[in-house]
Amino acid sequence: MKVKVNMAYKPQYGPGTSKVAENRRKQMNPNQKLEKMRDVTDEDIVLILGHRAPGAAYPTAHPPLAEQQEPDCPIRKIVTPTDGAKAGDRVRYIQFTDSMFFAPCHPYQRTYTECYRFRGIDPGTLSGRQIVECRERDLEKYSKELVNTELLDAARTGIRGATVHGHSLRLAENGMMFDMLQRSVLGEDGVVRYVKNQIGEPLDRAVTIGKPLDEKWLKAHTTIFHSLGDVAYRDDKEYIEYVQRIHSLRTKYGFLPKEA
Amino acid sequence: MAKIERTQKLFLKSLKEKFQGQDVQSETTEFYKFNGYHQSPRKEEFVKASRAVEMDRGISMYDPVRCHLGGIPLGQRQLMTYEVSGTGVFVEGDDLHFVNNSAMQQMWDDIRRTVIVNMDLAHQTLQKRLGKEVTPETINEYLHVLNHAMPGAAVVQEHMVETHPGLVDDCYVKVFTGDQELADDLEPQFVLDVEKLFPAKQAQALSAAVGKSLWQAIHIPTTVSRTCDGGTTSRWSAMQIGMSFIGAYRMCAGEAAVADLSYAAKHAGVVQMASHLPARRARGPNEPGGIMFGVFSDIVQANRKYPNDPARASLEVVGAGTMLFDQIWLGSYMSGGVGFTQYATAAYTDNILDEYTYYGMDYIKDKYKVDWRNPSPSDKVKPTQEIVNDIATEVCLNGMEQYEQFPTLMEDHFGGSQRAGVLAAACGLSGSIATGNSNAGLNAWYLCMLLHKDGWSRLGFFGYDLQDQCGSANTLSIRGDEGAIGEVRGPNYPNYAMNVGHQGEYAAIVGGAHYGRGDAFCFDPRVKICFADPALKFDFAEPRREFAKGAIREFMPAGERSLIIPAR
Repeated sequence: MKVKVNMAYKPQYGPGTSKVAENRRKQMNPNQKLEKMRDVTDEDIVLILGHRAPGAAYPTAHPPLAEQQEPDCPIRKIVTPTDGAKAGDRVRYIQFTDSMFFAPCHPYQRTYTECYRFRGIDPGTLSGRQIVECRERDLEKYSKELVNTELLDAARTGIRGATVHGHSLRLAENGMMFDMLQRSVLGEDGVVRYVKNQIGEPLDRAVTIGKPLDEKWLKAHTTIFHSLGDVAYRDDKEYIEYVQRIHSLRTKYGFLPKEA
Repeated sequence: MAKIERTQKLFLKSLKEKFQGQDVQSETTEFYKFNGYHQSPRKEEFVKASRAVEMDRGISMYDPVRCHLGGIPLGQRQLMTYEVSGTGVFVEGDDLHFVNNSAMQQMWDDIRRTVIVNMDLAHQTLQKRLGKEVTPETINEYLHVLNHAMPGAAVVQEHMVETHPGLVDDCYVKVFTGDQELADDLEPQFVLDVEKLFPAKQAQALSAAVGKSLWQAIHIPTTVSRTCDGGTTSRWSAMQIGMSFIGAYRMCAGEAAVADLSYAAKHAGVVQMASHLPARRARGPNEPGGIMFGVFSDIVQANRKYPNDPARASLEVVGAGTMLFDQIWLGSYMSGGVGFTQYATAAYTDNILDEYTYYGMDYIKDKYKVDWRNPSPSDKVKPTQEIVNDIATEVCLNGMEQYEQFPTLMEDHFGGSQRAGVLAAACGLSGSIATGNSNAGLNAWYLCMLLHKDGWSRLGFFGYDLQDQCGSANTLSIRGDEGAIGEVRGPNYPNYAMNVGHQGEYAAIVGGAHYGRGDAFCFDPRVKICFADPALKFDFAEPRREFAKGAIREFMPAGERSLIIPAR
């Protein structure tokens, strides 16, 4: 997705001289195209999300904007509504769990990336899961990008609405991240398939996600610092000094930082 | 920052016990083969107990197969045991929920049912207004009467109902003073003897701080404070004090001077363990949200028992504090959740925080020449931003690397909030023990949070966004309504009031600043002396050991009721 940047400053997308820092910047920068890794269809995305049946109409929370009286609001004149908002879609979600064993994306990174790349979203960031909520048809469009690109690994990224436990656990011997509900399973053919939707309800048919990415690729593309990976956190000195500086400035000046 | 060598890993024994027969550094393991909750003897016990309850009452109860995720019970992964840090005792996680642990209940009971009341004000009234003679003998007589009355017995009126002594055996009053001559003249059964209870240096400082004033350490019955609330403690105590003065000094029960005694006992001379909270949080005095961190660090007595190990002393405060502030205060009083135990126990199980903290001790000794084993104000490091940043960064990075290099350690602390609290606590304790400055320790905490978040691109649950990512800005503020020195902050300090996994550690950071200096007390010498009492049901010098005893069902609490219920 090409985003027109019209800002008073040029975004830097974060500090750091390491490969991890570079990977983070690439994911965040909307002008960088994310590598497509798989081709999960629109219908399969809808199945995994579990919010509506494929082909069913989008349930609405209000009439289309064109059909309802809009108040005379200057903000509404500035902000162009998304397709989902225009249609009056309800707000739904997709939620990810990312293994600390070198998954490509991680919670804050997801949030930052989504904020730079998508419109009309409400992300929530925790340690073991990251949720993004938005209008349903927008969600399906964004989910397709989140699932089909390098932001997801079939084994170490989970799409989980509830019971997310697993991000920090050792991997199973077949390389899969633990999931109490086993929503996705690794077949003998080496392909991962979702047999339950994100909330854990069994699917009528399995949804193929594809083969897990190999360890070498994951370590080269991950956005987590890890001393058993390619980049230990302490080795990216610029990153550490940046965080220290932010902390020092906030300590001395609160949230209006200025250096003496 | 620069990594230092430390070959000892205090958590290794725990990991090897928890994950028996497994390589604790392996990145893979097996799942889905543990037979669900059946792998836990305690949960099996729960099922059996529940069946009996259901048969008795005819209403369904604990049903982990049907009711957990529509048929998928707990235990698809290995359900771990936990070693209570510093004790060598392994327990099941369930045994550390305060409902299942009588020692935890008693710790809070013992705080809530305690007030300290000054005697000098009453003695002045007796001497100057009523012309009564006050001598060690009359004080002894008064204390006899008071120890009869405080549990709930009559001293003046006829035909009164009274409480059964067997139900209130934990209720008593002792006194303490900095005047050793007076202390020697009082009956030993009633005296908290500072010289005997504390190491000499601490005793000297405490006696000097208390001076010649005389104070009553009062513990009302556990059953009373449980049936009522913390606000009852000073009222119950004041009533019995008033009646005991009337009885012991032969006063007129209705004379106006009684009002002076009442005012002293209820207001002017009372030291509550906690101040009352504003209406929005609506609790009376002596409830957890009003305990200042400095006071809590005085309630815990580990620095009295381990004066040469400020890290150990601080870790005991962490254990006691996370139990009280996370499990009981935030978990149940404020939230109502059951899961807070899982957050809190991370800080006092499996020696993980202990390992990270002692790494910090090695670091401050190696780099800043702080002889932390001999606590003293003289070798404390100047709390500059640069030094605090350096200590916090190194201790944080070391902890993160331990989690990375021991995947079972990461699996042990499977939640980001657990890791965030533990890492930041180690940084905060290292900072405060090194500098002797509680606010510097709090500042180290918040740098750790920011480093952690950026390193792993995750931190804790939503609340951490609020509290920890803005915390740097208030750590050194002491303006009214915006900040305070660490000692007088507490669970209801605005930025601290909502988030599990913080308040116990903050209390320990405050304590660490003083334990690292070798101070006898953190905020209030009277509280320090009061909780040194060996007659208390809960041993505040060893909170974690007491919790372990509670977990293995060897702790005997107060609050006996078998005398008044049918035999089972």
